[in-house]
Amino acid sequence: MGHALLLGGQLHEVWLSRSEGGGYDVHLGGKVIGDHGRAVAVAVSGDDVHLHLDGETHVICFVDALERHAAAASEEGGAVARAPMPGNVIAVSVAAGDAVRRGQPLLVIESMKMETTITAPCDGRVQDVHVTVGRTFERDAVLVTLEVEAA
Amino acid sequence: MDWPFRSVLVANRGEIAVRIVRTVQRLGLRAVVVHHEIDAGSLAVARADEAIEIEGATPVAAYLDAAQIVAAAVTAGAGAVHPGYGFLSENAAFARACADAGLVFIGPAPDVIERMGNKITARGIVAAGGFPVAPSAIESDDPSTFAARAGRIGFPLLLKPASGGGGKGMHVVREASLLPAATLRARSEGQRYFGDGSLYAERFVENPRHIEVQVLGDHHGNLVHLFERECSVQRRFQKIVEETPSPALGAELRNDICAAAAGIARRAGYTNAGTVEFIQGGGEFFFLEMNTRLQVEHPVTEELLGIDLVEQQLRIAAGERLAFAQADLQPRGHAFEFRICAEDPARGYLPTTGRVLALQEPSGAGVRVDSGIAAGQTVTAAFDPLLAKLVVSGETRIEAIARARQALHDYVLLGCKTNIGFLHRLTSHPAFVAGEIHTGFLDADPDVAGEPPLDEPSLNALLAAAARASRPLRDAADAVPSLHAAIGAWHN
Repeated sequence: MGHALLLGGQLHEVWLSRSEGGGYDVHLGGKVIGDHGRAVAVAVSGDDVHLHLDGETHVICFVDALERHAAAASEEGGAVARAPMPGNVIAVSVAAGDAVRRGQPLLVIESMKMETTITAPCDGRVQDVHVTVGRTFERDAVLVTLEVEAA
Repeated sequence: MDWPFRSVLVANRGEIAVRIVRTVQRLGLRAVVVHHEIDAGSLAVARADEAIEIEGATPVAAYLDAAQIVAAAVTAGAGAVHPGYGFLSENAAFARACADAGLVFIGPAPDVIERMGNKITARGIVAAGGFPVAPSAIESDDPSTFAARAGRIGFPLLLKPASGGGGKGMHVVREASLLPAATLRARSEGQRYFGDGSLYAERFVENPRHIEVQVLGDHHGNLVHLFERECSVQRRFQKIVEETPSPALGAELRNDICAAAAGIARRAGYTNAGTVEFIQGGGEFFFLEMNTRLQVEHPVTEELLGIDLVEQQLRIAAGERLAFAQADLQPRGHAFEFRICAEDPARGYLPTTGRVLALQEPSGAGVRVDSGIAAGQTVTAAFDPLLAKLVVSGETRIEAIARARQALHDYVLLGCKTNIGFLHRLTSHPAFVAGEIHTGFLDADPDVAGEPPLDEPSLNALLAAAARASRPLRDAADAVPSLHAAIGAWHN
């Protein structure tokens, strides 16, 4: 497993080589790819590359080879409920050790005067609730981790 | 001109604070802004002649703290206060507090704000003047005749719990025979949700259009309307695109609706800038509410008439007479406003946050950007998601749409997800191009907000650009030649 770029939930194994002209050639699936002169605006923040192409924006995330191994291991036997948006916690309805069914409400969050209920992504047992009422969090923060019982 | 005030405090933030500061300074006056510390790096603070920090339990609370803002205005030596929109703009107590402190409040008189700001009093004033309000019946007025009075409204009608809200217990009744069953159902839902089973019925307007009319009144009895704006492109009852003239109105209906707005404002004793809102459909229109302040979408009116509404507000507040009569106002062309918001349309328009890493605002003929942000600024969840407004005008609606499409295509804002891509796609939607969008359109068809799949050339262009920008990938490539060089040296 090499480095990869994550776009729209899909991993793309991309690598660079130095080109003759002093720049880089981009390789994907045995081919050299390019932008064919299309205007792409780019801004980098940490592992995230923000891009603008034809009126649409995209975020591509660099995924390190080692992290990919670690992530593959941790996804086995566990599940997480993440924050769909930044906000703060209004109510928590489960505690560690509770058995939950898929779709059962775990907590209620609020962002810009809008309430959203976070539900269990699958059947399981609550391993940890990572937030308390009143806590603020960023998008994609892990709110609740579940232990998934083996079938 | 000889201004009765030399310095104006702007009691707001974001794009509207920047926009007001611009006109205040152009008129040779001094602009002061108040700001919560979270906005210390904002464009409004940078542009103002003076900025005063205000505090609050939350950032929003600071901008709602009337006493603190009045004190700031007095400290700064301001002679007038412009409230912008939102926050304290329709707060009669704030307008009074300004007057008590010897400050000119840029807006209507406090008692007019009170009368027209309350939906029930306003409706009463409008109906008493013979202007159209949606026919309605309130059960508690006389329960024994409710069914008959509801029936007289005409069908379809909307039946809802009198103490309701949020769409709960609301039923559209399409014909008289269905009224008894719907009454029972709405009553039981009202009882369950609100502990009150009494009902309210009003005319239901099918696929309604939201039409509003700008008015200006001075302190010498002159009042004009500045034509309509249509704001039917909404999500969750909030406007995202506005235009003028409305593609839904013919000449006669436009005349009637604009004249009604001016009549309503006159009857209310209105001064300064205000907007009368109507719901329109099936050849009818009904009064909805009046906004006793400058509105977010005021720039489209400015573009068509060549009038700076903030300048007019300041001149009226300074006691000047309107420099134009109704017949002098001849709108020319077509204009749109697109609200650039920190939100993700593909995820139910959920608000987003982030640091603005790159910002290139569009420009060119007919393109105006009223922006409240600068590159490097962080967008937080503390405020409304409106970041900027793209205002585009042209000789015709077609030309304005073409310019809007190009401007949205060129608008680069990276680091915080926005609705720019969605607005860009919307300008090509057949219903938008035809001017046929009603207020429920986007909520009824969430697929419109979905992001289209990437084609292979676009995917490759993005991956190639991202790979070149990614440091670890460059480092890996750079490590290879030196290795080759080392092997080469060893061979020699």
